[in-house]
Amino acid sequence: MKLLLVEDDRALAEALGEALRDAGLIVEIAANGSEGDFLVRTERYDALILDLGLPDGDGTRWLAQWREDGFDLPVLILTARERWSDKAAGFSAGADDYVTKPFETAEVLFRLRALVRRSHGHSHPVLVSGALAFDTHSGRVTLAGRPINLTAQESRLLAYLMHAIPRTVSRSELSEHVYDRDHEPDSNVIDVQISRLRRKLGSERIETLRGQGYRVVAVETLA
Amino acid sequence: MMASLILVLLVLPLAGMGLAYNFREAVTTSFDQRLTSLLQVILVRLERDPVSRQLDVSLGDSRFSRVFSGWYWQVTDTENTTLVSRSLWDQRLPVTQAEGMTLRNAQGPRGEPLRIAERDVRLPGHSRRLHVSVAASREELNSEVARFEWLLGLSLLTLGVLLLAGLALQIHWGLAPLRRLHANLRAIESGEHKRLDTHLPGELRELAQAMNEVIERDERMITRSRDAAGNLAHALKTPVSVLKTLGDRLAKESRHQIREEVARIDTAVRHHLARASVAGSTMLAGRVPLKATVAPIVSGLARLAERRGIMFEYHLDATLDVRMDPQDLQELVGNLLDNALHWADTHVRLSAVAANKGLYLSVEDDGPGIDPEQRERVLKRGARLDERCSDDSGSESRPAPGFESNSDTGSGLGLAIVGDLMALYGGELQLGESALGGLCARVWLPGTTSA
Repeated sequence: MKLLLVEDDRALAEALGEALRDAGLIVEIAANGSEGDFLVRTERYDALILDLGLPDGDGTRWLAQWREDGFDLPVLILTARERWSDKAAGFSAGADDYVTKPFETAEVLFRLRALVRRSHGHSHPVLVSGALAFDTHSGRVTLAGRPINLTAQESRLLAYLMHAIPRTVSRSELSEHVYDRDHEPDSNVIDVQISRLRRKLGSERIETLRGQGYRVVAVETLA
Repeated sequence: MMASLILVLLVLPLAGMGLAYNFREAVTTSFDQRLTSLLQVILVRLERDPVSRQLDVSLGDSRFSRVFSGWYWQVTDTENTTLVSRSLWDQRLPVTQAEGMTLRNAQGPRGEPLRIAERDVRLPGHSRRLHVSVAASREELNSEVARFEWLLGLSLLTLGVLLLAGLALQIHWGLAPLRRLHANLRAIESGEHKRLDTHLPGELRELAQAMNEVIERDERMITRSRDAAGNLAHALKTPVSVLKTLGDRLAKESRHQIREEVARIDTAVRHHLARASVAGSTMLAGRVPLKATVAPIVSGLARLAERRGIMFEYHLDATLDVRMDPQDLQELVGNLLDNALHWADTHVRLSAVAANKGLYLSVEDDGPGIDPEQRERVLKRGARLDERCSDDSGSESRPAPGFESNSDTGSGLGLAIVGDLMALYGGELQLGESALGGLCARVWLPGTTSA
């Protein structure tokens, strides 16, 4: 999951970014609204965490602008404002959920994962495809109930493919959403990681559609 | 008004009675004087011609010659009547013993009321005493007095009516500015206006201006304290968030301790900031429409509920209104809904009914609910925080679904804040069980002025 964190307080941005990276997310940080605006318009993110009190204009103003321009990615608001009249402004600007400062990292993660899952149209926290199951909260992968050990990168890759079910995901989409901006892979790297996943899960579970990309296919039996 | 009414209804009749009495007295006196002088005339005539007894006693008034005209005179010997006016014809006036001049009432020959002036005289060369009487009908006198009384009554009545009408008009016009002021106050209470109209005469304008200043200062103070609270919140919360996030990454034992300390800071800050931001029930708190005021929060939270996969039902009648500061009302509904959405599994319900001279607002969820013995503690939390700040906050937090640890994100505190708010407004917060299976938080808001 690739996430943009727009937060002007450096200490908080770094601490939260670090905590979210520990949980396996790719986190990019923007220190103000215009930087966030640039990234939202040029990069692809699965979700956005937006602080409402930004130095260059209220967070709700940026959000309203993004919504108006058709960016529909899930947005989680971070607010230090206690008053509900302030929070209401964020909701009407198009926020999907909010967390009040000071927050629990766990709560931020919980809300984020739920938002991303729902933005892909899944309501249950465990994504299932045949014998394969992916728990969006814990990040645990099981095959017929048996836990499978994946690296962080493999886990992100599989999570994205599982969220996308039954859609086919192109290589470029994968590289946009699963890899850091600074470490964009060549297609070779993706192929290598997909084949590692296939070895761990069974090759027929991830289908390659020539010229289109990858798709997770439901297979009940174990290979 | 009352005093003027008493004046008109009591003093005017009294004055009328006094006037009528005095008039009657005056008229009677002058009547008596006339009779007395007539009597003197007869006496003078008798002295001049005591022997002949052939008195020409028309006295220059034809009424003494007209039979039973009501005007009579009579001169009586001690034994028999000697002389009478022609008007008396064959009748005689009753005679009483009177040494000096006497005035009395009696009945005349036709039964008419008479006023008689009489006295005894001893004429020189005349052995016997003579008794001389002059009488006149009181009918004339009475009718004159009656006529006066009627006129007096009529004019006093007219005066009274005019006075009352004038009074009513004066009160009406004189109090018009006060009525306008009153209507203005009502308009402020109902939320139609923000300020009193100052187009009033002299002293009232000053009063209205002074009240406007009070209202303005009130608003400024609320705004300032809200701004200060908001800024302080912003300044404090970001560093606390950093601490908390850093703490989350520490080893388990130290993490717990940091978490508790941070929760304590957070709880205290939230509680006191919420306190500082409340406008409270001011004298001129207007009525605000419930539905329109909470609409931004309800629609915003409906969006969140949808994202969280929670069914959020709300039924609010557009006609309901509340006597409450709009931001405080938003705070109330926001905190209740926030709490419900935090704990709910799949279902949250907001409803409001007007009852019991106020408004019941209920927020229900299908979450774990709160045990009856815990409810009191949740509600008293705000009060405890006021007493001493070093408290074991977070002790009543419940594990949140989907979280690795006890989450004291202040959910219970939200209810305590609502409880505080209700205490300030003279309302009430009750916690109970919902038909949905979880908590039912119900507040009663007084709908009318507490006065």
